Amino acid sequence: MQKPKSNQASVGSVQCENTTLNLLKVNDFVAKAIRDRLPNILVINVCSSPGSGKTTLMQETGKRLKGKLNMAVLVGDPETERDAIRMRDVGINALQIVTGGMCHIEAQMIFQALDHIDLTGTDVLFIENVGNLVCPAAFDLGEDYRVTVLACTEGDDKPKKYPRMFLTSELLIVSKSDLLPYVPFSVEAVTKDARDVNPDIEVLSISSLKGDGMEAWCDWLVERVHAKKEKTSEKVM
Amino acid sequence: MHEISLVRNIFRTLEEEFPNDMQRIRGIYLKAGLLSNVQPILMQNAFQAVLEDQPKYNKTSLHVEVLSILIHCDLCGQTSEVEQYRFVCSHCGRPSRNVIQGEELLISKVEFD
Repeated sequence: MQKPKSNQASVGSVQCENTTLNLLKVNDFVAKAIRDRLPNILVINVCSSPGSGKTTLMQETGKRLKGKLNMAVLVGDPETERDAIRMRDVGINALQIVTGGMCHIEAQMIFQALDHIDLTGTDVLFIENVGNLVCPAAFDLGEDYRVTVLACTEGDDKPKKYPRMFLTSELLIVSKSDLLPYVPFSVEAVTKDARDVNPDIEVLSISSLKGDGMEAWCDWLVERVHAKKEKTSEKVM
Repeated sequence: MHEISLVRNIFRTLEEEFPNDMQRIRGIYLKAGLLSNVQPILMQNAFQAVLEDQPKYNKTSLHVEVLSILIHCDLCGQTSEVEQYRFVCSHCGRPSRNVIQGEELLISKVEFD
């Protein structure tokens, strides 16, 4: 009998104690390969529930970054190519990942998609995840930063309800901020709850349509694109 | 969540690890941190569904242990349990996101016939 790869032989009724096999190890392995493949491009994993305004945020970000940064988007949806078309309509280099009903994007899908998108000259690559605040939180996609978008129309109680998403994000964007006067949503309350879960999370209120907060968001991106390039060039030297 | 794909991952991982002993596996023990969003009852149902699809494994049972969230405080050096998703050290009251338990999704033990 071939000896098993585990550290104890599986003979008789022996229990294989000390077996620790990570169920997400394949994903984490591929995520590392993505990081190695993109040393000069800032990768941002954008997560949220459906309808929070991720695609509109991408469209408006593309318009504002024109001339400053080159951006590309990999956008995941269970079905249709609508989001990629919306982004291409405003001149963004976008590729649709159709997950075929799956509730999240896995690292392998990103790795394969990289063969189908031309990233020459790209400074920042956004991964617009499937709209879902639960499952995507468990999958590292090789990103440098995870940004969670929460529309003020969704309610300010979400950080405690979906803690892992907020725990693993560096930035929380409160979107549709132009609607704040009309909905019972407190930016202060959501910030407090988000920081209970993740004391380091930054919070930005943005209205993609009216433009409020867009400058701060673009500055946040530009700063991190430069920081990553500097870090990579230091390593090379 | 995506329990069916997780159960398939369990079998794929074990097939890779114990290629010649799959038929003799009787018990699979999982440790699932609270933050992995794995619900034991949904995992059991998904497990049964996969067994129907793959009758060769129908002598196998799944045991899921849910682990609480533990954080380590770098400032006072103590470990404490996170309650109500407040990531605050219960000893000194300062925030910490240094999670040492609660995010894992592991096969912790395998029993063979």
